[in-house]
Amino acid sequence: MSQIPVTVLTGYLGAGKTTLLNRILSEDHGKRYAVIVNEFGEIGIDNDLIVDTDEEVFEMNNGCVCCTVRGDLIRVLSGLMKRKGRFDAVVVETTGLADPGPVAQTFFVDDEIKAKTKLDSVTTVVDALHVGQRIDDSREAREQIAFADQIILNKTDLVSEAELEAVEARLRSLNPLAPIRRAVRSNVPLDQVLGRGGFDLERIVELEPEFLNPAHGEPGHVHDEDCDHDHHDHHHHGHAHAGAEDIRGISLSTDKPIDGQRFTQWLDRLLAEQGPDILRGKGIIDVKGEDRRLVFQAVHMILEGDLQRPWGADERRWSRAVFIGRNLDEVKLRAGFEACIAQDA
Amino acid sequence: MSFSFGAFVVETVFGKDGCCAFALGDGTVRFDSGETIEAHPDAGIQCAAAHPSGEGVITGGDDGRVVWSTFEGAKELCAISGKWIDAVASSAESNLIAFACGKEARVIDAKDAKFSRVFTHERSVANLAFDAKGRRLACATYGGAALWFARIEGQKPTMLKWAGSHVAVVFSPDGKFLISCMQENALHGWRVADAKDMRMGGYPAKPRSLSFLAHGALLATSGAEGAVVWPFSGANGPMGKQAAEIGHEDGARVTRVAGAPQGPVLAAGLEDGRVWIADLTARGVERLRADKGAAISALAISPDGKRVAWGDEDGEAGVADSPL
Repeated sequence: MSQIPVTVLTGYLGAGKTTLLNRILSEDHGKRYAVIVNEFGEIGIDNDLIVDTDEEVFEMNNGCVCCTVRGDLIRVLSGLMKRKGRFDAVVVETTGLADPGPVAQTFFVDDEIKAKTKLDSVTTVVDALHVGQRIDDSREAREQIAFADQIILNKTDLVSEAELEAVEARLRSLNPLAPIRRAVRSNVPLDQVLGRGGFDLERIVELEPEFLNPAHGEPGHVHDEDCDHDHHDHHHHGHAHAGAEDIRGISLSTDKPIDGQRFTQWLDRLLAEQGPDILRGKGIIDVKGEDRRLVFQAVHMILEGDLQRPWGADERRWSRAVFIGRNLDEVKLRAGFEACIAQDA
Repeated sequence: MSFSFGAFVVETVFGKDGCCAFALGDGTVRFDSGETIEAHPDAGIQCAAAHPSGEGVITGGDDGRVVWSTFEGAKELCAISGKWIDAVASSAESNLIAFACGKEARVIDAKDAKFSRVFTHERSVANLAFDAKGRRLACATYGGAALWFARIEGQKPTMLKWAGSHVAVVFSPDGKFLISCMQENALHGWRVADAKDMRMGGYPAKPRSLSFLAHGALLATSGAEGAVVWPFSGANGPMGKQAAEIGHEDGARVTRVAGAPQGPVLAAGLEDGRVWIADLTARGVERLRADKGAAISALAISPDGKRVAWGDEDGEAGVADSPL
């Protein structure tokens, strides 16, 4: 049986989630969506496939702190499966205060849900006018941005281009992986929002985080938010960034082949020790002695990896990995990653 | 006899006349005599149980309605707007019908339209079950099961606690034990008298389907490559005893079980669409449906153990006489 794709829509109150949901439900795109919401009534569209549910975060009994899941989602998705054929995809809207971790983990931890659905993306809607304030004062807002596969930057008509660029730089410092789509009244093309394959290993073909930068002193280095020294646009938007610094993305790369076994052990240990703090991880690895690319993606402690298509003959063979999380020690991460470089490389 | 209904078979139920009803994901109830009842128009059925009278079937839908369907048609028993009916249970002994709706369990009386009880929980009620007399109602929720006296208003429930999410419950026929399926691959049981815990683990998959058979001497469950059967005789039930596996076959997980109340006869439906029946005092299993298909999602055995009905996730269904 084919798996039903599920898009998770997050974002704080007022960012424009409901507007986007209304568009998904009302526009003529040839697909039928079942929608799971937490604030019934806001949508204002009569549709028997809109389900209202209370967010219920459940801990699993296996002792793993990361294995919290959304019990209500398991129940509602299992129920929706009884109506298969009536819809092509599912959208889950979370409340503004929701932690996206348990939502995403539900799709990896529960065997039945995993068999019948697949998480397509976590899409986060923020509004250009207020997102800076939300990043400063709301941990949930920071986590929703950091967790996202894509960010819809809404209400761009309410701020200047310079402010937009500053906001985008802040979003990228929290999440270097997610493309940012500018929008007014959530008017992004829906085919860009749905069907992202954000957790699909097969789709990890390009990993070019915005800040993936050669290191200091190397040719092509650009000074930006992620350098650890002062640079040109750091204070453009005039905020103190104390609140934002707990979450950041760290990107690692090397042109030297990696020892596959050592890398796997390092990654396992990293996620075991720091999994609660690591929101997302993704990578493409050039394993020594292996013609295929090793790809992985991680959500907290949950790791999925596979050998993917072979490297192309003319392709630059290099390894890169990005981790987004809280309290990440970049020096230690980099040292751990580089220790995986194959000895005689 | 076989049927192609074209919609997910949620539940199948035998009536007292031996007739069989199928509750489908497209909102209809189908009888094996050919009638189609539009029980939940433009909605889906989430759960079903026999009516206390033994005539027809009660269904709960994602339209928030509880409906009684007979050959003649559908009758709405209750409607709660904007909610799903997640589970329904009934008791022929007490004429009560209970259903789960979000955090509430509600009880109505099949013979008294004015009777209504609402029992509220802190978390959602995933499943519910009556004891054999229909006096007590067990509600599976997060952190354990709540036991209510089904007719009493304004009471505090007895909480049988066990950490984790409980998704299905059943009483042993003598009322001494309550067994619950967990979100993890395990059962949990309590001795009702003293709330003593019984951990019943070792499952490779979630046990979702529970059925007592042979006057309550045995409990059969799904969740393994074979039906798992626990001994329940004696005051201690399965405590300190081993489960047996019936009809084991590598790669063929059992999804539904249905045991004959009065005898050692067990039917099982598999993930690959096959259905078998076995006399547990003899060796081997008899195939009722040998062809493979979608996973069996509904299975029932008639009270006399002579007929078995099944349905699968793609809407294929059947009824067969037992060859035993």
